[in-house]
Amino acid sequence: MQENDHILRVQDLKTDFKVGRRTVHAVNGVTFDVRRGKTLCIVGESGCGKSVTAHSIMQLLPPNGTIAGGTISYYTRDGACEILSNYKRSGPRMRAIRGKEISMIFQDPMSTLNPVYTVGSQIMEMLKKHEKVSKAEGKARIIRLLGELGIPNPEIRYDQYPHEFSGGMKQRIMIAIAMICNPTLLIADEPTTALDVTIQAQILDLIRKMQESYGTSVILITHNMGIVVEIADDVAVMYMGRIVEFGSVQQIFSHPVHPYTRALMRSVPVLGMNKDQELAVIEGTTPDASTVFTGCEFAERCECARPECFHRFPKDTEIEAGHRVRCLLYEEGGEENG
Amino acid sequence: MFKYILRKLLALIPKLLVMSVILFFALELLPGDALSRTMPPDQYQALSEAQKVAAREALGLNAPPVIRYFRWLNQIFHGDFGYSASTGQNIGTMLAGRLPYTIELSFYGLLLATAVGLLLGFLSAVMKNTIVDYFCTTISVFGISLPEFFFGIVFIILFSVQLKWLPSGGRMPVGAHGFFSRVPYLVLPVMTMAISLTAALVRYTKNSMMDVMGKDYIKTARSKGLRETTVSFKHAFRNSLIPTMTLIVMRLPRLVGGSAVIEMVFNYPGIGNMALTAVNAGDIPVVMITTMTTGVMVLLSSTLVDIVTAMLDPRIRLG
Repeated sequence: MQENDHILRVQDLKTDFKVGRRTVHAVNGVTFDVRRGKTLCIVGESGCGKSVTAHSIMQLLPPNGTIAGGTISYYTRDGACEILSNYKRSGPRMRAIRGKEISMIFQDPMSTLNPVYTVGSQIMEMLKKHEKVSKAEGKARIIRLLGELGIPNPEIRYDQYPHEFSGGMKQRIMIAIAMICNPTLLIADEPTTALDVTIQAQILDLIRKMQESYGTSVILITHNMGIVVEIADDVAVMYMGRIVEFGSVQQIFSHPVHPYTRALMRSVPVLGMNKDQELAVIEGTTPDASTVFTGCEFAERCECARPECFHRFPKDTEIEAGHRVRCLLYEEGGEENG
Repeated sequence: MFKYILRKLLALIPKLLVMSVILFFALELLPGDALSRTMPPDQYQALSEAQKVAAREALGLNAPPVIRYFRWLNQIFHGDFGYSASTGQNIGTMLAGRLPYTIELSFYGLLLATAVGLLLGFLSAVMKNTIVDYFCTTISVFGISLPEFFFGIVFIILFSVQLKWLPSGGRMPVGAHGFFSRVPYLVLPVMTMAISLTAALVRYTKNSMMDVMGKDYIKTARSKGLRETTVSFKHAFRNSLIPTMTLIVMRLPRLVGGSAVIEMVFNYPGIGNMALTAVNAGDIPVVMITTMTTGVMVLLSSTLVDIVTAMLDPRIRLG
């Protein structure tokens, strides 16, 4: 694979949080690439570190969170490489990337828009920050984008305040803010979790439409397997701050290998399945994020766990081109035993 | 916005009426008859029974209280505030001489408290856990916990008696006029008046700012690549002001009412001073009018703050 195919390369990312006197390793050595123009889905349960990974890329962590190790490299349109993890959190270089190169949409559209400014001015703020445009020209561009995003009467809506919009409409406004400068990478952190099911599909369609018309790469964070199969090109499954399985959507869905991935798949209802059949449940709960492990983090909930799983850390193993799994069953010589 | 202001101003009318009803009938409950409240006690005692009957008849005091309330209201509407029971002076004239002084004092006090309180609150939130923050927090603890007249006395001892920088009281030198001759006389009372509201505002603004800084829309603002100063001022500060305005409205009566004590300490010829003198002399007509005036000042200024709040927050304009 050529460097040029990638827009973002995250290597061995570690993000720590200080909680009181303790340090919690929320992200613990995460490695993945985002391909140009493609969609990467990061899936996992609540608290697995998927959101923290996204916030680390944007350097939007809360004050008690820091990137403790690893590199985040971003490849610009002209092929230059910027090491984001070396930039200061609110320094000028990071700020030049935010919004212009990489932009982000968040989970709860009810609280992500500033209630005291009109939506138009909030989109305009983004545009003016990164591009030299006249007011009239900018407004025309914003109204055109709002129209593309399916907002009726964009000229009137431009001058309205967030409280005059419904949740789904607010999320469209957030997408407009994120897309107005035509970024190369869009990070969507559970963009549909807070919305109605009927609106969810519309928002996902819009993200896909934006991606098609502007060639944007997307990192979509979700815990919904149904969304993954709809929209992803690549999938990263996270558990306890680590990626346990990474591969293309075909690889993951037709041939899931990690016991956690397989358990996740079984816990999702599929259209046409026998309605009397009970859905599988992953036994136990996610351990506390500050737990110290001596072996595989998933071992105690894993149905395939063997004694060695409890006191040996698994390593990433590539079982197929582009398909990595972090499980002792698949390490050298492990496969025949599994 | 225009409709909102109009509605707020119209709402003043019933508020003022209710206030006047409460005031009139509360004082009506005082011992003694209505005639005794129109003149000094010794003069009242000197009257013969026949004179009293005649005076009541002449002044219309035999009418039931409800009728007299409406007469009183009618007089006020026509600018006739009646006469002082102790000095016989026209209350309207007394008020005209003193009200501007009190308005001046309260206005600068409010302005100073708001400006300094919001600024220090903002700074201590943005520079949390720095020397600036500790300094502001310490100062505000003193300001909240000590009464205003204490600061008044300390300021007089420090700035007038010891340092001799500023006059200890009064309004302006004899024969002088114009704003600049008044300034030295205003500094200490205004500072004293502002101190407790400033202290409350520093704390409140800081907490409100820190609350807002944790909101999702601040993350959105940061994700746009804005400078940290733009994020904290444009996005956080304006939002943090909305609850702070409520605090100002709630503290206004204390500010205006507290001016009576401060006027006393600084021998400042405002209506607070006039009200205290009237209370001591049992001068009911003056007490009524000064209380009413103070009430009107509080209502007008809280309406003003409400309008400012609506300018800050679009959600209020609709409601």
